[in-house]
Amino acid sequence: MMNVTLAINGAAETVRVDGATTLLRVLREQLRLNGAKRGCDYGVCGACSVLVDGQPTRSCLALAADCEDRAILTIEGAAPAGELSALQQAMLDTGAVQCGFCTPAIVLALKALLDANLSPDEAAVRGALGGNICRCTGYSAIVAAALKVAHG
Amino acid sequence: MVGFHKPRTLAEALALLAADAEARPVSGGQTLVPMMNLDLFRPSAIVSLNAVDELCGIAADAAGTVRIGARATHAELAASTVFAAGQRLIPRAAAQIAHPAVRHAGTIGGSCAHGDPAADWPVALCAAGASIEIASPGGRRLVAAVDFFRQFLTTALEPGELVTAIIVPPLPGNGVYRKFSRVDGDYATVSVAAVIEVSAGICRFAQVAAGSVGPRPVRNAAAEAALVDRPLDEAAAQKAAVLLAAGASPMSDVRGSAAYKQRILPGLIAATLLECARP
Repeated sequence: MMNVTLAINGAAETVRVDGATTLLRVLREQLRLNGAKRGCDYGVCGACSVLVDGQPTRSCLALAADCEDRAILTIEGAAPAGELSALQQAMLDTGAVQCGFCTPAIVLALKALLDANLSPDEAAVRGALGGNICRCTGYSAIVAAALKVAHG
Repeated sequence: MVGFHKPRTLAEALALLAADAEARPVSGGQTLVPMMNLDLFRPSAIVSLNAVDELCGIAADAAGTVRIGARATHAELAASTVFAAGQRLIPRAAAQIAHPAVRHAGTIGGSCAHGDPAADWPVALCAAGASIEIASPGGRRLVAAVDFFRQFLTTALEPGELVTAIIVPPLPGNGVYRKFSRVDGDYATVSVAAVIEVSAGICRFAQVAAGSVGPRPVRNAAAEAALVDRPLDEAAAQKAAVLLAAGASPMSDVRGSAAYKQRILPGLIAATLLECARP
């Protein structure tokens, strides 16, 4: 085992890992950042996604030991404590949340899109969500929320 | 307990792998990490390549040959403007791999080394006539893609060897990748990669491969010869498609039965050829 120091939501966190420990396990089991969900654990469902250096990343497929010197953002850091980002508020307004299991990763996937492209069209929004499975909403309200933030 | 190394040079990485036959190299981790999570495989140590900058970069030389460093991600390749004419097959294939998160992490070198015949790179690189550059402590060698991908998850890589680059020769005309999958971003049910040059209405150059239809990508010299020196019309495309599809040996799996794949393959080949031939 070894110590690694990760930059998570702007804070330096030192955790104890071996070479196979995933970022997801560190987030949930050591740091109690439970917004990232363990769904499939092999990169298909998208529920564990976080942003690494601004890009959506499967935390279940990222090795924690390999993430030193990278900026990790989880849903817990997506807005100041007790506040909602404009995207989170739009998702509430459009009814884009049902069971909520996929929601943290979807917020982050859309944040990465909106940070890179201020006015994405519907195809771009759907492309950004391609790796995030939602079994409740049928996606329409989620897409509507992203378009509302982008285009008002 | 799994060890972890993060060497800064290729020589160090090769030495670490040579010293421990059960250690495994990793860059994007999009294949090795799921295998570990599912308890399919447990290496003695991880050798991260993510500080080996010699493996980065996508660049063309004066002759137009493109050298793709093994660590180039699918997203970098999809956005690259280095590829010209028929080489545009490469970014077009990259853009169709999985989803943004996988494209930003996964690398072309890792995908090649894994050698999954349902993946997008084996078929695209075979159609492009690309070569795989391989390094070991003893030196480097180049293997043509059609010889590199041997069997299901089996490549020309020997123990202790690493994929260091993919070399794409200059290619005329146009390059197209078409993939059919039932679910967006999934592995292909079947896929086709083509490089076609049409000049004054006559097809002058044709390289075409089918993927996800057997243990390795399929190319057929007779199918390519049948396309050249005549107009690439519907009839020519259909004829070549039937010749190429005859070499396919798909397996039944969750993405479709062997008979289904065999049935839809000629149509996808012909459609890809016609799209590639359009000005």
